[in-house]
This record gives sequence, C-alpha cells and structure tokens, in this order.
Amino acid sequence: MQKTGKFKRIMCAIVATLSLGTAFGSMTACGGGGKQTFTDLVIPEGGYDGSAVTVTFYHTMGQSLTDVLNKYIPEFNKLYPNITIDHKQVGGYDDVRDQISKELTAGNQPNMSYCYPDHVALYNIAGAVCTLDDLIASDVTVTRADSTTEVLGLTDEQIADFIPGYYNEGKAFGDNKMYTLPLYKSTEVLYYDKTFFTANNLEVPETWDEMEALCAQIKTIDPTCIPLGYDSEANWFITMCEQLGSSYTSATGDHFLFDNETNRNFVAEYREWYQKGYVTTQEILGSYTSSLFTAQTGTRSYMSIGSSAGATKQCPTPNDKGEYPFEVGISTIPQVNPEAPKVISQGPSLCIFKKDNPQEVIASWLFTKYLTTTVEFQADLSMASGYVPVLQSVVDDTYYKAFLNKANGTSFIAALSAQTCMDQVEAYYVSPAFKGSSVARDEVGALMQRCFVESPELTGDAAATLIKNAFKDAVEECEYQA
Amino acid sequence: MSENEVKIMHEQDMQKVSSKQKTVKIIVQVMLYLFLGIMALVILFPFYWMLISSVKSLDEYNLTVPTLFPKKFVFYNYVEAFNAANLGRLFLNTMYVGIVSTLFSLVITVLSAFAFSRLEFKGKNTLFAILLATMMIPGELFTITNYQTVSRLGWLNTYTVLIVPFLVSVFYIYLLKQNFMQIPNELYLAAKVDGTTDLKYLWKVMIPLALPTIISITILKMMGAWNTYIWPRLVTTDDAYELITNGLRNSFTDVSGEVNYPVQMAAVTLVSTPLFLVFIFLRKYIMKGVSRSGIKG
Amino acid sequence: MSKVLNALRSAFVDGVWKTFCVKWIWQGFCVNLVYKKFDKWKGWLYLAPAIVLLLVFTLWPIVNTLRMAFLNGYSSLGELGGETFEFGIQNFQKVITYAKFTSALKNTLLLCVITVPISTILALLIAVCLNAIKPLQKLLQTIFFLPYVTNSIAIGMVFAAMFNIVGNNIGAEAELIKTAGIINNILGVFGVKPVNWINAGSSYTANMTVMVIYIVWNALPFKILILLGGLQSVNKQYYEAAKIDGTPRWRVFTKITVPLLSPMIAYVVITGFIGGFKEYSSIVGIFGDTMGPVGDPRRLNTMVGYIYDALSQDYQGRASAAALMLFAIIFVVTMINLYVSKKKTHY
Repeated sequence: MQKTGKFKRIMCAIVATLSLGTAFGSMTACGGGGKQTFTDLVIPEGGYDGSAVTVTFYHTMGQSLTDVLNKYIPEFNKLYPNITIDHKQVGGYDDVRDQISKELTAGNQPNMSYCYPDHVALYNIAGAVCTLDDLIASDVTVTRADSTTEVLGLTDEQIADFIPGYYNEGKAFGDNKMYTLPLYKSTEVLYYDKTFFTANNLEVPETWDEMEALCAQIKTIDPTCIPLGYDSEANWFITMCEQLGSSYTSATGDHFLFDNETNRNFVAEYREWYQKGYVTTQEILGSYTSSLFTAQTGTRSYMSIGSSAGATKQCPTPNDKGEYPFEVGISTIPQVNPEAPKVISQGPSLCIFKKDNPQEVIASWLFTKYLTTTVEFQADLSMASGYVPVLQSVVDDTYYKAFLNKANGTSFIAALSAQTCMDQVEAYYVSPAFKGSSVARDEVGALMQRCFVESPELTGDAAATLIKNAFKDAVEECEYQA
Repeated sequence: MSENEVKIMHEQDMQKVSSKQKTVKIIVQVMLYLFLGIMALVILFPFYWMLISSVKSLDEYNLTVPTLFPKKFVFYNYVEAFNAANLGRLFLNTMYVGIVSTLFSLVITVLSAFAFSRLEFKGKNTLFAILLATMMIPGELFTITNYQTVSRLGWLNTYTVLIVPFLVSVFYIYLLKQNFMQIPNELYLAAKVDGTTDLKYLWKVMIPLALPTIISITILKMMGAWNTYIWPRLVTTDDAYELITNGLRNSFTDVSGEVNYPVQMAAVTLVSTPLFLVFIFLRKYIMKGVSRSGIKG
Repeated sequence: MSKVLNALRSAFVDGVWKTFCVKWIWQGFCVNLVYKKFDKWKGWLYLAPAIVLLLVFTLWPIVNTLRMAFLNGYSSLGELGGETFEFGIQNFQKVITYAKFTSALKNTLLLCVITVPISTILALLIAVCLNAIKPLQKLLQTIFFLPYVTNSIAIGMVFAAMFNIVGNNIGAEAELIKTAGIINNILGVFGVKPVNWINAGSSYTANMTVMVIYIVWNALPFKILILLGGLQSVNKQYYEAAKIDGTPRWRVFTKITVPLLSPMIAYVVITGFIGGFKEYSSIVGIFGDTMGPVGDPRRLNTMVGYIYDALSQDYQGRASAAALMLFAIIFVVTMINLYVSKKKTHY
C-alpha cells in the first residue's frame, strides 16, 4: 500500500515536471530567438588604441611547437606590450571544436583559435566568427610601442606572399567572405623505399595505373608484402573525386553528391586492390601504415602515402652505428592526370571570434597577422615540425635555406618532405566546408573501409550491390546528421 | 548383537561417513580455491598489463606482437608523466576540491537526511519521491544546461564551479536517511522534551550513531573528486584549477602529436595508486559505503 | 555514548507526558501557535541548501531538456545565430525513424539482457565460494573489488590490446595476422584458430562477446560485494538445520541461499539494469569513439552513445528527445523489476 502510494507520487512528480517543461518550452518558442547574439565588428577609428587586453588563443600544438610560439610572443609584446597572449593547448582538433562550441553557448569563447574549415562552418551557425575582409582591407595606421607604425590591414605584398591555394581556403564557405588565415600546412606525399626501388630497377609511379602495375610487380619480388599503405581512407576518397573531377560535396544546395557512378567504380577497383593484397589502410591495419613501411621484419610495405608532416615517422630507426636500413624517397602521390595534379591541403588555420569589445578583436587580429606573416616565425615552425610554411618568401630565409639544403632520405627527412611539398604548391585543393562537411569526410572514410573488408567472398555483381548499398547508407547517414 | 556392538558399528559408520565427508570437503575446498584463483587472475590481468605497459618504451609498446614482460624497463616514463602533466599541482587541486566539497556536502546531506527522517512537514513525501525520481534520469543532458548556468554565474575557472554543482547527492541523502531511520524515534522525542535543540541532538546523538555511514560517504565523495572527468574538463581551461584526471589526457603526445601510451599508462598508474592505497587501508568503510549506496565513486 | 542514550531513555520513560503537559500549559496558547507554525516549516529550512542546489543544477536542466526536446530541430548554436524553432514532436520522430538509433536501442537492450544475468550468477557463485573459505578470504575479497576503483576507459584500452589482432585478415595470400593478442594466443594453446574479435571485418557476435566479457568484468565487484554482504548477514542457523537434515549442497544453494539473498539479488539486478541502459564508456574503451569496428562505425552504439553523438553534432533537440526516451525505458524497466521482485522476494 505504502509502495503504491510512492509510485503514484513519483508518477505525479514526473507528469508535473513534463507539463511544466512543455509549457515553458512552448513559451520560449514563441517569445525567444530571432536575433543574433554576437555583435559584428566595427573597426574603431585609429584601430588599436593601446588599451590592455588579453587575447585567449586555443591550439593543439605539441611541446616543440609551443616552444616556438613561446619564443615569439615576447617579440610580439615588444611591439604591443599591453596585449597579453593567453594560449592553451586544448587536446586535438576535435577537442578544440567541442570546447568552443560549448563555450559559444555561454558567450565565453576564446578570442582566436586553431580551426579547420568545418569547425568554422559550425561556429558560423551561431554567427560567431569574425569576417576578416574589413580588417584585411583596412588602411588604418596603428602605432606600435617602439613608435614604428603598421597598417592594420594586409598590404598587397603580404597578400601576394601567401601561397594562393592556402590563402583562398579562408574563403571556401560559400559566401565568398574571408573567415580564416592559414597558419601552416601539410599535404599527402608518397614515401617509398628508395634502396629497394633502385635495387630492383623500379620506377616511382606517377599515375594510379602505374601504381597498380608496380604493386603487381613488387608482389612478384616479395609475395608476403603489402606494397602500399595509405593512411587516410577519407583523403584517398576525396582526392580521387578531385582528380577524377567527379562530385563529392557542395557547400550550397544539395550537400552530398558523392554517390555516383565514377566514385563507385574507383571504390570497386580499390576493393580489388585490397583483396589482392596490394594495399592496406591505417584503420584496417590498426596502426599508422608507417609501421609497415619502416618494419624490418615480417610483413612490410615498400610505399606509404601519408601526411608530409609525419615524415620522421616514415624513417626507419638507424642501428647502433647510425646506419639506416634503407633510404626513403618522397614524391607526389599518384595522379589521374599528372599534367594537372591534385593533392589535398591540410593543417590548421586561424579564426577570430566576435567579441563585444572591439579592442579585443583588433588585438587578436594583430596577433593573427603577426603569426601568419612573420617569416622567421613561419620558418622556425616549419623546421620544428616538418609542416610547410604558408609564405612563399620563407624559402628565401637563410636559416630555412640551410635547413632545406640538408634534405635527405634519412636523417633530414623532414626537410626533404617540406621541399617536396613546396614543389607542388600548385596542386593543392580544398573541399567545400559547411555544417556536415566533417560528417561527409568521416562517412566516406568509413565507406572505403567497409567496401574493402565486408564480405570478401563477394565478387562481380554481388560486390557491386554491396558497394551501391554502402554508398546509399553513407549518403543517408550524412543527410541525417547534417 | 549386543547393544554395545551396535554402538561400535554405528561409530565405525560415523567415522567412515566423516572420513568420506572429509575427502569431499577437501575436494570442494580445492575446487573453490581453484575457481576463485582463476577468477582472481582474470580480474588482475588487466592491472598487470597496465603496469608493464607503463614501463615499456614507446617502440616496444608499438610492437605488433606485444611482449608479456618488458624487455627493458623505462622508469623514466613515470618522471615524464609526472612532469608533462604537472601532476603535483593537479594533485593539490584535487585534494583541495575533494576536501572542501566533502565538508559542504556532508553538512547538506546530514541536514537533509535529518529533515526527511525526523521532521514532519507538508509535502515531505512528495519531495522525497521527486528526489528519488531524479536519480533515474541519465545525467548526460544536465551537462549542457549546467555549463550555461555556471558560465552565466561567472564561475568558469574557479574552484566554486568544481565544488558547488555536485554538493547534493540524492544517493547520499537516501543512504543517510535510511541509517537515521534506524535510530529509535523515542530518543528524539525525549530530547525534544528535554529542551535539546534539533541541531544539538543531531550533533550529539544522530551523527555519532551514524558515523560509519558518514565515513563511507566521505570516502566515496573523495574518490568521486578523484575520478570526475568530463565536468572539470569542460569548465576549467586554466591549469590552476584542473583536476588530476584532466592531466591524463592532454599532455602525453610526442613531437608529431601522437599519443605516447606508455607515458599515459604511467600516469594512469600514478593517478590510481593513491586510490588503491586509500582502498586498501579503508577497505572496510568503502565496501560498506558502496554496498549501501550502489554507485560508482 | 551509552550514558547519553540511557539518560535520554529514562527521561522518556520517567515522565515525558508530564513534562510535556506542564510545558504546554506554561508556554501558553500563543507561544505554541508560533512554535507550531515554525515547526511546519522547519523541515524546509533544513532542506533549503539541498533544494536550492537541486533547483538550479538538477530541476532546471530537466526543464531545459524538455524545452529542447519539444522544439523542432533545436540547436543551441542555431538559437544563438538567431534561428527560431517551432513547438512540436519532430525530434522524437527523427530519432525513432533513424535506423542507427534502433540499432543502438537493440545493442543496449541486448547488452542488458545478456550481461545482467551472467554477471549476477557469476557474482553469486564467487560470493558463495568466498563465503565458504577461511584463509585468503580477505585478500581475494580485495582483489575482486579492485575493478571498482579504476577508470573504465583506461582499462578498456587494456582489454582492447588483449583482444587485438593487427593486420589484414583476408584470403590466404594476403593473410597477415601479425599478432593474435594475448586472448588468441591462449586460445591457440587449446588448438582454437585465432578469432577476429574487434578488428576490421570482425563479426557482430565476436564484438558482442568482447563487450559482454568486459562489462561483466566491470560489473562483478559491486555485485560480489553486495551479495557477500548479504551472505554474511544470513542467519547461520538455517545452514546448521540443513546440515543436520543432510540436504545436498545444490539444494541448500537453491532452497536456502538464493531465497534468503533475494532482496540483495533484486537490488543488484535493478541497479544492473539501470547501469546497463546507460552503458557507454566501456564501449569507448574497447572500440574508441567510433563505437564499432573498422568498416562499420557505430555498430555497437548505445542509447547514451547516440545522445552524445547528437550533442556533438549540435542537435540538442534530438539528444534531449533520446534522453527522455531513455528515461522512459529505465523508468518502465525499473517499475517492472520492482513489481516482479516484490512478488518473488522472500523476506
């Protein structure tokens, strides 16, 4: 009896709460909303007025990059002593995104942050990212602490110094407005075992057809090997779309266009590669494919397509005498048309968030501009990590030149990788960014994995049906999530 | 057959039976220990794995065929873990937050449990029913709203934000209320007649009688402070206020941003050790507390 | 301590009513009225700190959850950007019609239905065995409690390493099982072929097996503890009686131990179900954030996993709707459990 009474009371309590919430919900639905929370920047006359502001900056830098940053903040403060830079490593890229999107709901987002295009698309739903067009175009003169002056905006020379492909990423949001500036970049490159290639008279493949023939050839030399490791399935898919000129996604209108004949065909082809043991990927292997590439016992691979920033991982460990088991060569990834190569552009950009105090925004801009246009900083950053600087003039920097000159396939592999990247600056592409573009990326990656590993016994039409279904599911998933 | 003979035979029978029983008993005991031993090994193996992983070099850890015993002990992992994550500072933070929140939480829990178990007031039962119902709601969704609340209050990056939102635990109130209910009501009425105030009665009689439960709550609450993860990560961006578990995730990446698992395992070991020690020394109270409350600390 | 108690008790016995009456008359009607009125509210005064905190940090989030659940397509970033949302049940429709939500629901139910009985029976066995031994009892008890004080994500990584295989696992030529993890190595000793537990191309059954093992491992300590506590408080006389009767052990177990323990068993089953419906971090521990093996992400997603996904995609409306449904399920299951255990429990 007593218990029944308790149940009834619990039920009553729940019903009461439910109806209260519903009533409240409908009230806010009618009354609330309808106006932007974040105020647009109006550049104050005179630009930065020298007031004391703190700029919070979220990034994902590891220790070596943080050291570089810490070296340059005092330099920046010599020019602007009242701007305090409060920077913080917030885990990985996804952590930065999650942290900021939560902070936005409470209005305490940082002033500036590392970002990928899809992050910016997400923040833009709240209208929180500051457009840079007015700032870049501004001809207001700012006086620094050492009584020199600078123009608040970017000069024509500064704009021209950016590698164009990188610079234009900031505009890839479908409204032709500039939201980000690039900080440093990487791309995918083909690492190959140069020693093995020379010994067996093998040619570095330039096209995918050559790659297939080469894999077959390597398989005859070393039957237990998996000739090629490709780290990122998603990059492979997106890059193939780009190289073949087929649709992937669009920032406007119908977003998810990747379910088409061309794409299904190349996936079917690579499924066969996988089944013949020509290729494996990071997720399927269970670790970076560099582990196969640098392995000296057991199954190994002779080529690896991975991030140019991971060059040091692709280098085998030297023995006690400092001798390397083999020399690494680095080249552009295979292409559909070597005359018009396409390689993916990766790496973080910087975005600035709207704030009520325009001085904070201006200060963030000054720091963003400092990081992206200072040649010495860009050179140091690249030398510390193997990432590619975003400025063309960095290669003229003496230290950087010396760094590149040391490039080889063993102990100075990072320099070799950086050099390879810079040789193909024309080939960089970016895919459109919108809310859901990261979902599309995840889904095509999973789609590749699924088509590779699912039901290996199926061939021909049955395999084609499997692939068709995988595509259909992936598009459905994208549409549900975006 | 004389009566005597019958008796002797009976005794012999008994001896036979008892020696048979003895063998059965030994076999049963052996099987019991075998079963428990195997289960204990199953339980312990992951801990062993954690320990040996924490002293492996990154290269050895990454070997595709893992080694069951480290080829070379890299104790430096521990030094690195301690320094990289600034564990000393995080440890102090955690202690501070743990102690302060436990104190406040105890006061609130004791007062509430007292009200529910001894005082009569309108709406008491309904209120208690509502409290119990909230325990069934998945807590995941509280996070977003609570985050907005605390940031509007300006509490981000303070100790307050780590302490205040979790001061009330319906579980603890329930636990202590049940314990208080076992104390005979006559005591309370008598004390009231004597003119003893409620607070004095609470302090002098109820609390001493319910001390084991209160100690259990204290330990569980401290363990809770030691283990919370999602909330502090969300509301603190300043090292000065981070808690120990946050140190586990952020800092163990090598140059290229890859996670250095052995160092992470070393950090996990470092963080778990105080917990294990507390557990071993205060096992009795923790077990009592857990068996009463049924929540993970 | 006992002195105080005795004093209080004797005070009560000696003349409560006399004292009470005298006081009552002495205080007079007016004073009493004020006092009584205060008495009525005193309970609330004691509860004030708890209530204030609960209103802010528990009730308000619930109300807000309801609000978000019933605003079509609600997203908090969208709200900041000036978007408006209509009142309706679209979120619920979206969630229910989503195939991966139904599969998450299925996984959750399946894990509950499998792990709760297994862990309960295993825990019962261990508890009974522990109760039957003398030497080493304390040590073993401590060992069995250890998983309780660990972080499930960290230990999940350990489990994943134990079941892991590295390498492609396809046709004969390219076959490359470089390691078969410790579990496969042990199975190999008994001549069992390596099983692909959690890697690319693994089967749903294999995945579920790993999850069940891990979840049971994780759930054991709490259950053992409760059941052992129950066993130790069972009156020894019942067993003595059974011994004299010569009742076989198995019958003692089913006819005496289980019935006497039934309140504790009911308790661990109910809390097991509530915990089981909130299963999440154990799957992250084994499979990582993708909640499934390579090639089939989200295969092992659960209700809470779905809620987190929806939250991270800025669909707070859908997440709230799913959370309300989860609450409804837990509520119904708990009620059924309570009902059944009320009928079956022997006190």
